[in-house]
Amino acid sequence: MRKRIYYWTASEHINEPVISDTILNTGVKINILKAKVEPQEAFLILELFGSKETIEKALDYLSKFGEVEEISKVIKRDSEKCVHCGCCITQCPINAIYMDEEYNVVFKEEECVGCKNCMKACPFKAIEIIE
Amino acid sequence: MKTIKEINEKIKKGEAVVVTAEEMIKIVEEEGAKRAADYVDVVTTGTFGAMCSSGVFINFGHSDPPIKMLKIYLNNVEAYGGLAAVDTYIGATQPNEDPDVDIDYGGAHVIEDLVRGKEVELYAEGYTTDCYPRKDVNVKITLDDVNQAIMVNPRNGYQTYAAATNSRDEKIYTYMGILLPEYNNVHYSGAGQLNPLQNDYNPETKSFNTIGIGTRIFLGGGIGYVIGEGTQHNPPFGTLMVKGDLKQMDPKFIRAATMPRYGSTLYVGLGIPIPVLNEKIAERCAIRDEDIEVPIYDYGTPRRDRPLIAKTNYKVLRSGKITLRVNIDGKEIEKTVKTGSVSSYKMAREVAETLKQWILDGKFLLTERVDTLGRAEYKPMKSPITLVKDVLSKPPITAQSNISIMEAAKILIKHNINHLPIVDEYGRLVGIITSWDIAKALAQNKKTIEEIMTRNVITAHEDEPVDHVARKMSKHNISGVPVVDDYRRVVGIITSEDISRLFGGKK
Repeated sequence: MRKRIYYWTASEHINEPVISDTILNTGVKINILKAKVEPQEAFLILELFGSKETIEKALDYLSKFGEVEEISKVIKRDSEKCVHCGCCITQCPINAIYMDEEYNVVFKEEECVGCKNCMKACPFKAIEIIE
Repeated sequence: MKTIKEINEKIKKGEAVVVTAEEMIKIVEEEGAKRAADYVDVVTTGTFGAMCSSGVFINFGHSDPPIKMLKIYLNNVEAYGGLAAVDTYIGATQPNEDPDVDIDYGGAHVIEDLVRGKEVELYAEGYTTDCYPRKDVNVKITLDDVNQAIMVNPRNGYQTYAAATNSRDEKIYTYMGILLPEYNNVHYSGAGQLNPLQNDYNPETKSFNTIGIGTRIFLGGGIGYVIGEGTQHNPPFGTLMVKGDLKQMDPKFIRAATMPRYGSTLYVGLGIPIPVLNEKIAERCAIRDEDIEVPIYDYGTPRRDRPLIAKTNYKVLRSGKITLRVNIDGKEIEKTVKTGSVSSYKMAREVAETLKQWILDGKFLLTERVDTLGRAEYKPMKSPITLVKDVLSKPPITAQSNISIMEAAKILIKHNINHLPIVDEYGRLVGIITSWDIAKALAQNKKTIEEIMTRNVITAHEDEPVDHVARKMSKHNISGVPVVDDYRRVVGIITSEDISRLFGGKK
């Protein structure tokens, strides 16, 4: 399975290889979607791959060095504004947007990584990315 | 076989058979065009896309004391002031006067706000005359407050719009949306098998079966008319000039948009009924997405005649991906990329469906055209062009990276230049140094060319328009661009001095 999380590490752990240790210690696979390191803390968006058990172990481990929050929804679309043109579709790097058989533009919200490319491409400003 | 008059009689009695162009495909496939022509009376079409060439004539009524409006702004968007005292035309693509708002709220947005019943601020100035003593006016108005608001769109409803891709190594922002580098997407526009002009076209005569001046249509959710051929009308790339009453329109079918870093535009719902008068008309109304050829052009080439990359059709485009044969870095490769639409097929369907319902309900009767569409003509502007090679005269002065900074400085002084392209043993560009880099080397005690040269060099090509190079220099804040050939060999350099000479007039 796959799980996406926000992760904040406290300042005392910024210089430590927390992510690498998590991988080595639990066997989880991690995709770093976003990382922002500041003097007082580091903020990351991580995508964890593995069995349910592995992911739980990884989350436990990560929690020792910082705060974990599950990402439930990043993308928000105003259905009044959207006309289902499709200007956003080719901008999505992970194919989370597609056109269905009824020509509706569909967002696979659970796959969104919050890159904002679709938001920037929308001629109707119908897309919002929640951070 | 049938006449429009007979069809209208059937509509009035509620007996007319009306189908959308999509439904007609199935009917003709299953029963043949002859039988379809026997019992289908009307085929409805629709399209919903960005129609930049759209706008509204507004008459505000006279103020007291009266004013002759010359400079006119609606919510800070300038409208045309060259009409009579209180008339104006507001165009969809006019940007906002406020540079911070600019294209995010333009003419199209004013039009949508009016249709939505929102208040819009009118500010106008004029010069005073004996009958118009007032200097300026500043009021809030709604669509109800104005006398007429007549939408007149000089070019709408393209028969087929070419698709777009991008050969450059950077993203480009176009009226076809955001085009990714190295042909990484294809964007297209158009309703294809639902498009009004496609369904009414006669390829043999290159004219239209029923659409002409006076054809009653669906425009923006209200009733409108075709008033002639559109600008750039050139079947099989026909266009229409249309008019409609903004006061009847529905904000669902009139939508303001902003193409990112390009400009504002208006998405317009346009639908046309086609009376099925004979078998030939029925047959054409069964045209399918796969029957309509769509060329794909490279928008990365900043020229009027863009290179044709491939020919495809709407069926392939709507599948979501396409395989292209393209040339990247001199190598011919096959590449499968995503396709994305810029217009809305879903809304085009809704237009065709709504128009069908109007006719079935007896609310909308068909009209006989009073004349066919006018002259087809689409030719380029007679405009001068200056290419990079027209400006290049001197042989290029280049150097290799093994020279000393002192030697580089001497070359710059000797030739009175500021830019020195650094090349390898074959003359291929590897970097550039400027007089500024040498000053910096002195200040920072750098020793070698390698340490101070810029490696990521912005270049130009001999066949590139100078205007494009000027834009590149301004965008990247640089003052000189080496000109290279297909093998990246330096053939010259073009500098801001060369470009200012073009404008300054000294050769």
